[in-house]
Amino acid sequence: MLEAIDLTKKYGDFTALKSLNLTIKEGEIFCLLGANGAGKSTTINLFLNFIEATKGSATINNLDVAKYAKETKELLSYIPENLMLYKNLSGLENLSFFCGLGGKTQHKDELENLLEESGLQVDFIQKRVSSYSKGMRQKVGIALARARGAKVLLLDEPTSGLDPKASNEFSELLLDMKEKGVATLMTTHDLFRAKDTGTHIGIMKEGVLLEKFETQQVSFQDLEKMYLKHMHN
Amino acid sequence: MINSILLIAKKEIVIALRQNLIRILAVVIMVLLGVALYAGYVAYDQQKYSINNAEEREREEWLGQGDKHPHIAAHYGTFVFKPKTILSLFDFGLDTFTGTSIYLEAHYQHESMFRPAQDHSSMIRFGELSAALVLQILIPLLLIFLAFPAFTSEKENGTLRLLISQGVSYTTIIWGKIVAYISMVFVILAPFFMITIIGYAVLENSSTIPDTILRILLLLAIYILYLFIFVSLSVWVSMKSSTSRNALLTLLTAWILFTIIIPKTTANLGESLYPLPSMKIYREAIQKDITDGLDGKSHMRLRGKQLKEEYLQRYDVDSIHKIPLNFEGIRMQAGEDYGNMVYDVHWKRLKELFNKQNHISSLSSFITPYLAVRNLSMGLAATDLYTSIHFQKKTEKYRRELIRKMNMDMAHNSRYGEFYEYTANKKLWETVEKFTYQTMTASEILSLYSIEIISLCFWAGLVLFLLNYSSRKMKPVL
Repeated sequence: MLEAIDLTKKYGDFTALKSLNLTIKEGEIFCLLGANGAGKSTTINLFLNFIEATKGSATINNLDVAKYAKETKELLSYIPENLMLYKNLSGLENLSFFCGLGGKTQHKDELENLLEESGLQVDFIQKRVSSYSKGMRQKVGIALARARGAKVLLLDEPTSGLDPKASNEFSELLLDMKEKGVATLMTTHDLFRAKDTGTHIGIMKEGVLLEKFETQQVSFQDLEKMYLKHMHN
Repeated sequence: MINSILLIAKKEIVIALRQNLIRILAVVIMVLLGVALYAGYVAYDQQKYSINNAEEREREEWLGQGDKHPHIAAHYGTFVFKPKTILSLFDFGLDTFTGTSIYLEAHYQHESMFRPAQDHSSMIRFGELSAALVLQILIPLLLIFLAFPAFTSEKENGTLRLLISQGVSYTTIIWGKIVAYISMVFVILAPFFMITIIGYAVLENSSTIPDTILRILLLLAIYILYLFIFVSLSVWVSMKSSTSRNALLTLLTAWILFTIIIPKTTANLGESLYPLPSMKIYREAIQKDITDGLDGKSHMRLRGKQLKEEYLQRYDVDSIHKIPLNFEGIRMQAGEDYGNMVYDVHWKRLKELFNKQNHISSLSSFITPYLAVRNLSMGLAATDLYTSIHFQKKTEKYRRELIRKMNMDMAHNSRYGEFYEYTANKKLWETVEKFTYQTMTASEILSLYSIEIISLCFWAGLVLFLLNYSSRKMKPVL
């Protein structure tokens, strides 16, 4: 579903991402761990075609994102660290607007249901987003991914700054999407969340994917040791 | 793409309508527009009523002036009036400065004919609140307040990334926003257009309907183009600005430059480069040329002597008393003709100065679209300088014909040396037809404003190019 082949991004002499090879299949959640500047967000931006790859390719459903920008964007949904919506519109209006842009116009009742299923309190659905917490906005993001029928989720540190309860609720929603066959690439600093939610984990440092493995293969303690070892080297 | 454009437009409208500043501005502008149109209507109605009454009274007075010597009738004179067009209630233009009536009499081109030497230099100063002024100056300000955060707020709030991640192109976002702002302005203006059209249907003379419809449609097209230029420019500045504050400052600076500083500067530049003579100097120069002759060697006494000799020779007589015409009438008409020739020479020079000043104003429309729309709007409302000059030309032609009729009647029907003994009556007064004035047609007016039309097209092309070029170069905010 998602594939990076020798994916490289350079800014002058600085290599932000070096020869990344990665495959994420349907129903997989790949968590990229790493410190700031490790190349995690660069990877997401390359899959979003926000930046051009220096070398290699990023594909979604076997379509190169650079060549098939519109087609690949129709398949994906993106939730950044801090999902910003239009403050003067309600969650429902935001959802309706972004769904419409993706050509997925849905009835108001269906959208309300989606928001509710995504965990947004009913009495907030019609309220302006200016009164939403970060967690509530992230839930609108999940509702949007569902409404659009996204096959791929690109999440850039989506639980950063969320309280444990909101973070847990978000993970539940991701697992639900995973069950529906959605392929997810999530960057995070949160080892616990990666172990708890991800099917696969990759550790990045200085633009290089140092390790990748299935979550089941390691315990949380091993993951922590492995991560710290890479960070200290 | 159209669906996405409409969605973005709808979203922009909803967000704008939820902002107090925009709501207040819209209401203020609607009130100002309403007041301006109402004031325009009151002025139009009063002037039309006064003109109609005065016209009839003047005609009655002319016809009922009683029996008198034709030359006394020529000095008795008459007033002629420039009819008010329905569109003058929309754009007062220069009517306030030029006036709408002219007094016609023998020997003198009425003061209004000279007034340009005194007043035309200030013709480009505006202060009255007209609907045109609201459209030309205040609506662009509203558009700036609507559009300055078009892109900067998307960048600042982080919604631009989300928008782009939905597969929406910058071109779609740009056009969605432009459609939204233009629609909002159209909603504000629609009631006033309706009022103007209804007013026109009720008030306008049926003979001028096709031309007036054409003028209204042209005005509509010109203002839509003008507002499109402002909207597009605002969206472009927002695209290129790093913050909303910068975008607003840039746009407000541009607005002040476009609508106040550049028009004033170019008007002053025109006056400095091509200064108009004072009325005193202008009149004295005409009087001097009439007295001394245009070549400075043919004094009026000499011309009178030559005329007398010419007539003595023509009728082969030795005394002016023996020619079968009243030589006094011939002499008066000859004096009138010479005065007209001198006036034409001086008027031509003055008109050349006006034209040069106007040319600077026209060319300056390449620096500010405001000047293009202002000049075109006045032209189509028949309240511009060209219409004023056209009216003066027609009245002067009428005056000359009136005086010629009086002088020729005197020449043919009275004897030399006879003055108070001869009187003409209503029959002669009736030979002078009532003055009617028809403004230039819309196409004639447009042909005078080709530079402004080209400049508006240039501006529209420029903003389209800038938007297109910048949208290709834009990168998502990372």
